[in-house]
Amino acid sequence: MISLQNVSKAYPKGVTALDDVSIEVEKGEFVFLVGPSGSGKSTSLRLLTREEDPTGGEVYVAGKNLAKLSTWGGVPKLRRNIGCVFQDFKLLQDKTVFENVAFALEVIGKPKHVIDQRVPEILEYVGLGDKLNNFPDELSGGEQQRVSIARACVNRPLVLLADEPTGNLDPNTSVDIMRLLDKVNKIGTTVVMATHDQAIVDAMRKRVIELDKGRVVRDQSRGVYS
Amino acid sequence: MRRIEYYFRETASGLRRNGIVAFAAMSTAFIALFLFGLALIIGRQLSLVIDAYTRNVEVAIYLTDPVKVETVDRLQATLLELPAVAEVAYENKQDAYERFRELYINQPTIVENTDPDAIPASLRVRLADTAQYDQVAAAMGCAPNEQTGRIECTQPGVREVRDYSDLLDRLTTINRVLSRGILSIAILMLASAVALVANTLRMGMFARRREIGIMRLVGATNWRIRTPFLIEGLVEALIGAGLAIVALFMVKVVFIDRLRGQIAFLPLVRNADLLAIAPWIVIVAALIAVIAGLIGMRRFLDV
Repeated sequence: MISLQNVSKAYPKGVTALDDVSIEVEKGEFVFLVGPSGSGKSTSLRLLTREEDPTGGEVYVAGKNLAKLSTWGGVPKLRRNIGCVFQDFKLLQDKTVFENVAFALEVIGKPKHVIDQRVPEILEYVGLGDKLNNFPDELSGGEQQRVSIARACVNRPLVLLADEPTGNLDPNTSVDIMRLLDKVNKIGTTVVMATHDQAIVDAMRKRVIELDKGRVVRDQSRGVYS
Repeated sequence: MRRIEYYFRETASGLRRNGIVAFAAMSTAFIALFLFGLALIIGRQLSLVIDAYTRNVEVAIYLTDPVKVETVDRLQATLLELPAVAEVAYENKQDAYERFRELYINQPTIVENTDPDAIPASLRVRLADTAQYDQVAAAMGCAPNEQTGRIECTQPGVREVRDYSDLLDRLTTINRVLSRGILSIAILMLASAVALVANTLRMGMFARRREIGIMRLVGATNWRIRTPFLIEGLVEALIGAGLAIVALFMVKVVFIDRLRGQIAFLPLVRNADLLAIAPWIVIVAALIAVIAGLIGMRRFLDV
């Protein structure tokens, strides 16, 4: 599903974010990317959505070489197959829960009847069936993250990328969010999650890829944080 | 349908949010397009005057009635032999009257008070070298009468020869200077309009950078993201164009229509002339929007 082949990423100022990284992730896998700040976790995720281009090597998602995608058609299509979740939720404060999730479908041209059907469905799925008309600032952090997961999943992506999704949440809420991500994974979505959260990685016992200074230093199935 | 509704909604909210900046863009577009239209109208008005007074040629040879075909042929042949003559065209009495009526279609009293028979047939001569008018006069046998001082022509069939080259030259110069002057101000204003429209687009995109970020994230195409802003620019420019067209009509009513009846034998621009200019104003407005869109969104939207 995801394949990084000898990928390097160097920034103009001489910072090397990734150095000859090769990673294979199969369809339906759940993978943790761990490592200290600046080890290249976020950069790896940004390469997968083609927000950035590698300076060396090749990136494949769902069999497609990302370097060959066109900006006008290919890249948007790629991103429709990838859901993204962030530490800071990235919700629109002037839109309700329903509207935030609907926005993701609306801007890719989905018809109204699809939106009216799928949005309540996915919000029910993430446990927010009764908060459709609330605004983000009326929700707890955990609930906001659920909205953002709903938005990421509403278009039924093949891959879900999560960048520190529990970084702003307390431990109990984090466990709830991990249960939800696990649930999303169980229905076949490939999940890649970059995190610092040792407790969560240790509890989940999933595949762990550890990066340090832009290199893969460990790749372990059913691993722990360190 | 839903897509159109989406774009419409996005555009309306963009214009509302941008308020005063959008107003600045619109009014600059308005002034620019107004000046552009004004240059076109002045050009049109002057070319009407030029046409009425000189028929756009340097020399007119009026013929005596009744005009014989042989006379026309003979005179044409004579004229064409002259090195100073570039072109000769014959206009018969009916054509001359038709043209006269057409020029003064807005001033029916002038037309009604003119006897169709009073307008002579003529040969219209375009000179290759305007300084060589004397050649034409000599060929037509024209010389000042020693007693009356009036110029009389001895060639049979010729009533009168008139040299318009000086007048034509002057009118064309006035036309050129006025049109170009106004046009260059208009171009300056058009450039400002482009900059201001581009600026509203850029501000709009900045205000909505979070939305745009999410749109990109979930795979909205570039066109989906850009179109509302393009439409916003287009609406601003087109409102400017609409106001400019209205203002040009007002200029015509207030200034040009006042001249009617004040100066005899002065053809004036008509509503039809303004209507012919209107599409050009709209096209230029659309160009403003497109160029502003290219400039305003260039940096912002690389995926």
